[in-house]
Amino acid sequence: MNIIFQINDLISKAQIFCLATVISSSDDRISPGTKTIIYKDGTMEGEIKDKETGQLISDIALKAFTQQEKKLVEIRAGLTVFFDFISTSAQLLICGAGHIAIPLAQFAQQVGFAVTVIDDRPDFANQPRFPGCEVIADDFITTLRRIPIHSSSFVVIITRGHEHDAECLEEIIYHPTAYVGLIGSRRRVSFVLEMLEKAGIPKERLADICTPIGIPIGAESPEEIALSITAELVCVRRKGVNQAKALSNAVRGMK
Amino acid sequence: MNDKEIFEQLAQFQKQNIPVCLATIIKAAGSTPREVGAKMLICVDGKTYGSIGGGCGENQVRSASLRCLLTEKKPALIEADLTDDLGTKGGDVCGGKMLIFVEPYF
Repeated sequence: MNIIFQINDLISKAQIFCLATVISSSDDRISPGTKTIIYKDGTMEGEIKDKETGQLISDIALKAFTQQEKKLVEIRAGLTVFFDFISTSAQLLICGAGHIAIPLAQFAQQVGFAVTVIDDRPDFANQPRFPGCEVIADDFITTLRRIPIHSSSFVVIITRGHEHDAECLEEIIYHPTAYVGLIGSRRRVSFVLEMLEKAGIPKERLADICTPIGIPIGAESPEEIALSITAELVCVRRKGVNQAKALSNAVRGMK
Repeated sequence: MNDKEIFEQLAQFQKQNIPVCLATIIKAAGSTPREVGAKMLICVDGKTYGSIGGGCGENQVRSASLRCLLTEKKPALIEADLTDDLGTKGGDVCGGKMLIFVEPYF
């Protein structure tokens, strides 16, 4: 298969992979533009035929996998290779189709998220309210058990009540996720977290949850809150959850 | 445009046998408008998809791409210097430097 078609195939399957491209080469057998795909387990597929060069490339790719750091490396004298990690569009799952969900779905789509909105109220979870999104009007638990949630999923929990928040969290918490954010007053949030701790969910996993949700910009209106949540999503996607938490903590520390 | 959309578009062009250049930022130093890995497609009619930051850096890449597609027929490495601080030569003023790899697909 042509490597471009192969790349598309991997992207459509939401596979994480490294794409290595030869940038400059003094070796006649390897021309600039030659590409190879390296998978997380170290296997390779592509246009590099020389075993030794392949091994060098795969070693560097594997080291870069954890951080997914895109970089240009001179892998040996006269041979420079660019290591790229192809980003598939991140999935945002919004639990709760209320008044914050509308601007949140809009902003998130604009910064590149594929958005799914779920709610058990068809009057709220309907297509006209959420253009461009996948909308599911069904019971929260049923839906969350049915749809794929994986390590590149971002989940925002903004249902109408803490019992729904808790039931959503309970379903999501056992999946690996890129981000889980929970809205609510300090009291409502601590109530939900206590409930889950009693239900046997480890404290360390509960500590991953971003709450209060959003980068603290003093948001008041639904649109402002949606903006602050979107800022947090971007921060986590670009810089990781630690930076998002550090920003929130820095502001809270000032008070 | 994200990577997914760029590669989908590139595959489309290949299916239709339309020659196109893929430009990727492979190194960036100082302040640059886009990050390493940002991509842009350039068609032989000058039409572009996606962005590597706009402005003169992009113009430089556009001409290099056309050269790639029409005469050289092989990849090229472009250094875009955005350090022209006053922009007097019509240059960009981000203050950084970018290395861009341009590869033709026929």
